[in-house]
Amino acid sequence: METSRDDFSIAIRSAFLRKETQQRFSIFALVVLSLVLLLFEKFEVKPINYFRSFVKDVIYRGSIFVSYPSKGIGSTIGFVKNHINLYKNYDDLKKENISLKKNIFNSDYLKLENTQLRRLIDEQELSITNLISARVLLDKESPYLNSFVINLGSNKKIKNGMAVLDGSNFIGRIVDVNFFSSRVLLISDLNSKIPVITEPAGHHAILGGKGKNGAVLEYLPENHNIKNGDKVYTSGKEGIFSPGIPIGEIKIKDKNNISVSLFSDLNQVTFVNINLEKINSK
Amino acid sequence: MISVFKNFSFRIIELIPLLLLFYISLSGNSVIHLNFFTVNIHYILIYYWVLKQPRTIGYGFIFLSGIITDVIFGLPIGATALSLLIVSAVAAYARAVTVRINLINDWLTFIPALLFANFVYFIVLHLLDFSIDYISLFKNSIFTFIFYPVLWVIFSILLRFMKS
Repeated sequence: METSRDDFSIAIRSAFLRKETQQRFSIFALVVLSLVLLLFEKFEVKPINYFRSFVKDVIYRGSIFVSYPSKGIGSTIGFVKNHINLYKNYDDLKKENISLKKNIFNSDYLKLENTQLRRLIDEQELSITNLISARVLLDKESPYLNSFVINLGSNKKIKNGMAVLDGSNFIGRIVDVNFFSSRVLLISDLNSKIPVITEPAGHHAILGGKGKNGAVLEYLPENHNIKNGDKVYTSGKEGIFSPGIPIGEIKIKDKNNISVSLFSDLNQVTFVNINLEKINSK
Repeated sequence: MISVFKNFSFRIIELIPLLLLFYISLSGNSVIHLNFFTVNIHYILIYYWVLKQPRTIGYGFIFLSGIITDVIFGLPIGATALSLLIVSAVAAYARAVTVRINLINDWLTFIPALLFANFVYFIVLHLLDFSIDYISLFKNSIFTFIFYPVLWVIFSILLRFMKS
């Protein structure tokens, strides 16, 4: 019995503490270093933040460089696929164009009416001048997380919490700012919780990410009268985002599972707009 | 001249696992997506080489590749590094206690490596209030285990080539 315990402790010591042939560090030392780094995640100390931002920027640039070959293969496959589907796409676009032309007059009128009503209630409008455009630098599809990196950082006055739009649709918010890059947490991520309002019912709720399954509405009033196809907008509660930014439309699976079909396809985003408005004005 | 070339090509072959380690970290392909499932080739790569030939991939490099993966995926810095070191530790322990080396032994000892690594990963993310899709993580663990023999065969061919 004693011998087997000795064997076990020798094996453990050998695995964790001994520096093997040509190994500079022991596993134990590196485990401790990892724990220290994780501990630093909790502290917001300026020199550490600067160092972290610098390291992240360097790694992002390295990742772009390393990803060139696989990106090239991917874009070539996409190019060939697009060519194959060209005729079908043309037909679909023709039909879509006709239907959009029909709607355009209607939407112009609604826009005008919306602007007048917003003025009436003295609400801040989302103007083009408050938006800054950015390119998606890295979009590594993690199986567990939904986020991407954009090419603007604190050098362009980007701050944590700013709303990120695809065209005029809300798709996420800034969660990590470096010097020349920032990370966008998408609304489909499990860590994303956005205050929203539904239209026309006008119910306030929280839009929570569900990973690959998009997003669902949480904390709705018990006797809500939400229907399929109702629209979801940012509510502007908490003063983090401007109100009225379109997000998606409702798809009811059952009474307790109300999902939101997003207006933007999160896998197809190349350029985004960042709303500098709210946080800058504070 | 021939011996210089041979020496050079030997050095390149020796570096393949290390280059692969950094390539999958930097390109964000440490978890590869196949149609219905995902496989963590990072774990398999590290487990195999620490078990078979630890001098090929140093612990310091493993730590560094974990840090890179954390930055690329936007995870708390140190989480992946810690789980990769746990995989290395189990592999080092298995190497110390195993006498007979074959695929079945390696495959079975890979189970505790996966369990410990993903448990530590889960605990770290939970303590840092970081939510991830745990069902995906669980599925990923199962398919990583199933996929192990495929990479085992590929790496064994490479190892034989290095030794010859």
